[in-house]
Amino acid sequence: MRPAILIAAALAILPPAALAAKGHVHGAAALDASLEREQMVLSLELPLDAATGFERAPKTPQEKAMLDETARYLNDAARVFSPSPDAQCSIHSVLVRVPFLDGKAKADDHADIAASYVFRCARPAALKSVETTLFRQFRRLYRIEVQQVGPNGQRASRMAPKQPTLNW
Amino acid sequence: MSALLSILQLAVRSAWSRRGTLGLMLASIMLSTALLLAIERVRVDTRQSFRQSVAGVDLVVGARTGGTQLMLHAVFHSGSGTLPLRWDSYQAIATHPATDWALPLSLGDSHRNHAVLGTSADYFRHFRHGDRQPLRFREGRPFDKLFEAVLGSEVAEQLGYANGQKIVLSHGLADGGALATGHDDKPFVVVGILAPTGTPVDRTIHVSLESITALHLDWVAGTPMSGFSIPAAMVGKFDLTPKEISAVLVGLKQRTDVFRMQRFVNEFRGEALIAVLPGVALDELWQAIGIMERTLLGISALVVLIGLCGLAATLLAGLNERRRELAILRALGAGPAQIFALLMIEGLLVTTAGAVLGAVLVSLAGAFAAPWLLSAFGIVLNAGLPSGNEFVLLAGVVGTGLLASLIPGWRAWRMSLADGLTPRA
Repeated sequence: MRPAILIAAALAILPPAALAAKGHVHGAAALDASLEREQMVLSLELPLDAATGFERAPKTPQEKAMLDETARYLNDAARVFSPSPDAQCSIHSVLVRVPFLDGKAKADDHADIAASYVFRCARPAALKSVETTLFRQFRRLYRIEVQQVGPNGQRASRMAPKQPTLNW
Repeated sequence: MSALLSILQLAVRSAWSRRGTLGLMLASIMLSTALLLAIERVRVDTRQSFRQSVAGVDLVVGARTGGTQLMLHAVFHSGSGTLPLRWDSYQAIATHPATDWALPLSLGDSHRNHAVLGTSADYFRHFRHGDRQPLRFREGRPFDKLFEAVLGSEVAEQLGYANGQKIVLSHGLADGGALATGHDDKPFVVVGILAPTGTPVDRTIHVSLESITALHLDWVAGTPMSGFSIPAAMVGKFDLTPKEISAVLVGLKQRTDVFRMQRFVNEFRGEALIAVLPGVALDELWQAIGIMERTLLGISALVVLIGLCGLAATLLAGLNERRRELAILRALGAGPAQIFALLMIEGLLVTTAGAVLGAVLVSLAGAFAAPWLLSAFGIVLNAGLPSGNEFVLLAGVVGTGLLASLIPGWRAWRMSLADGLTPRA
């Protein structure tokens, strides 16, 4: 037997939810970040609730405006993420999917926003970090769980309002 | 310069005359420093060893359970088992365009406390450890027929096996005692022994997936069927494609495809699967263990602090006995600054010696404990001199020791000449 004490203890204190691939947790977003040569891909998934405070079709003009503003903000990649300037990154493509934007109702219990950004960096070696304004924009967002794959292999990290930076 | 030297000489001689008390202080500082360094070293080396074991694997796939649990079971063969996944799910993953290689893993049997891993012969070609090094054979070759086994280096060493040795596997974790339900009707022959890797591979017995299926052909519901058995020579006539396996290790053509592949697996329609990035799962594990580690490190730092407080107390208490000694020194012309230096040097000597001896103790203990840590926990302990953070900790110990000696130094400074020379009634 190999009763690895560390492991057993860790399993005991890890809540299963933290282990599951990706659940829907209000206030928490998930970010997949990959860096290969000059290309950096950031794929964000966040509960609609974190951005707007509701997870259904908008009912009032204010709610509709909120949804529109969310989509506008997320589509402006340069506003959402700022990579280290030395890396000379530019936006290559942006794909944002905000539910209920077309006014159609959905039967699901939960709704998520998906946004993915492709950056091209002229000097990827100089890419040390990426800062985000997501926490400033969305007050109901408390943390972003990050899965990173880059030149140094795989890593998990966490961004929070006090630490809104992704380090490479 | 020569003044300082003479003070140093004086300090050493004075300390030597009180070697009993100071020796005990030295021992307590040495032990507490050793504890602090040992905790730091095990912490760093554990992470290092775990990371080295998953060097080349992009994804670990299994039936949906906790990600960390799946990874620990598939890569480290520890923790409780996970649910099986179906063979056709494996095939869907293996034939995905992004997949470079996919190694099926079947765990569950054992041989004298060593895990038996059923896999494909590709395992020896694709598995990487450490700094992406491939597996090497110390002797022999990979298995290519039924009932052939390849041993990890430590299995061979511990059990004294060589090529050609016949071994019997047991079902589950029984260690070959009288109660074990065995596979003694179908012995395996050792055809290869791997070179040491410092990973769980060393403690594993590798056989082909087909052998695992063949072993359990005449088994129903976890026990042998009574009155019925299929002889080893006959099993080749059956379809030995497994129906279920424990997990899959996946290597991708392009590392950055990992999220696409993860999504493919997590949303797989055939059955509920989960794909884990091993590097990410390890980080999550460390995040969870981090609190415990910091607590341990904090406690051992407190132990060091207690040791240094003891040092300060001893030096302070010693001042009373040394009134005469210090008064004579002053009468001979030593200024208060020199008396202060004397005390500081003494404290610094004891702390530094304690810290250095503690580091030596850890290195020695590490050298002795390394084989045990490796076999019991799979942790490769780096023997040798302190490095990185350990130096910071050592400097912290000596610095705090210096601070602690300030108190008796200050008291000695303040002590008046008259105090020691006036005999009291």
